[in-house]
Amino acid sequence: MATLKYKLIPKGAAEGRVPINLIFIDKKDVIAAGLTYREACETIAKNFKEPGAIDIIDMDSITVSSDGIVVDYAVVAFASIDYGMINKDFGYLGVSEQPYSEKLLEEEPHMKQWDAIDDYKGKRLFRGPNFDDRWPRVPHNETQTITGRIANNNTGSEMMNVIDMTEILVPAYGALEIMRDGEVLIGVAGPEISVGIGMVVFETYGRIFNRSYGAGKTAHNSGEYAKTVKSDYPAIAGRKSTLAEYTLRALEIGLVPGKDIGCSPAVLAIAKAFGSPIAYDSIEERAWVELSSVGITKEWLQAPSEKLTREQIIERADEIVPGIADGKLFKVSDICKVCEAEIAK
Amino acid sequence: MKLMHTKLPDFKKKVQEAGKKLRPETEVELKGLENMESAKLASLRVGRIEEEIIEITQDPNVAKVEVTVLPQIPETIHCVVIKGVQKDGTSKKTILESMFITTPAPECYYHDSEVVEDRRVSYD
Repeated sequence: MATLKYKLIPKGAAEGRVPINLIFIDKKDVIAAGLTYREACETIAKNFKEPGAIDIIDMDSITVSSDGIVVDYAVVAFASIDYGMINKDFGYLGVSEQPYSEKLLEEEPHMKQWDAIDDYKGKRLFRGPNFDDRWPRVPHNETQTITGRIANNNTGSEMMNVIDMTEILVPAYGALEIMRDGEVLIGVAGPEISVGIGMVVFETYGRIFNRSYGAGKTAHNSGEYAKTVKSDYPAIAGRKSTLAEYTLRALEIGLVPGKDIGCSPAVLAIAKAFGSPIAYDSIEERAWVELSSVGITKEWLQAPSEKLTREQIIERADEIVPGIADGKLFKVSDICKVCEAEIAK
Repeated sequence: MKLMHTKLPDFKKKVQEAGKKLRPETEVELKGLENMESAKLASLRVGRIEEEIIEITQDPNVAKVEVTVLPQIPETIHCVVIKGVQKDGTSKKTILESMFITTPAPECYYHDSEVVEDRRVSYD
């Protein structure tokens, strides 16, 4: 019997911190099994009868974090499964590739990373689903799959159970570490990540938005309340040193927070430590209100401080990068089971 | 194309009558329209649903019919009307807002059925 390999972070993993079954499939294993992405999700659903969220990940492609940092992995399809089923119309979403073009790089300054960083050059880009992928969802719908009790939102990064109403975030670096069998920081997202999620960049078919907002703006636009939006939800984040390393790559090629890349608390804190320019005047007042609510003020950023090297920032990332309350590092191999699903003939 | 529409109270009555047509003792439960006081429902669909309720009750072992009305798109946008009402019953101000709601999808209601026939409007 042919099988499909997948990784499962089961409900209750990480000492009870994970409330929902999370399934990650390497695109290579789907191809090796001779399945389409949808067939792969259906195979898992038929084998795994419990509610769960599925992300199919291509480790040879690139995607973009919500604050505009390119990361070398990509969600190429995602799904919600429950009772052994996938909802016919809304249970699955594929993500179309976004072809390289000079127009895209002109419109989206953060995408200079694609050209300027050797690790990304020539790789395929996947961010969020396009209009055709999303059908029959309408423009106001989120980039979300729903089957039974499970919704898998924001291109496979925010999973919910709409019966017990639990939720978990899997930011970009968390998914990356899961696929690399590295270490993940699991805790409560906290106010800084809550604010940071709103500090997005202008993108065509982004993982969350399509051509909305831009660097220096806030998608939350909710003042002091922004820090509460996701602050109580658990998150599987990457190590802060991983986040710092990827953010430094963008700063090193001259991208400026607030103008070219998002002004999340994490990006601004790293830029300050590295002595990188910050586009203070491009950050709109509404964004400053949200940033100030978590202690990231213009005065703090402009106050003299020790300039650190790349190596020092990565080494001291845990003290420099804000976010995640009550976090604990887990080896992915300690919280994740490698499973095999039988493929129906 | 203009088609006839059925009054909500008539629909509720038709659901009950269809469920009890073959066996009056059949229990009929209609869920999902509790917060609607008035509405018009597409008559052709009302007729289809009446026929389908009768079809379900053709199995002599069916003792109860559950009829659950859900949004076909499980993530819906709603208009929220926030209205201030004075002591004398008049209103000076209303604020309209949007609310996006993700609700349990239909699998939650039929997952234990042996046979499922999908006769909904198709998006294909």
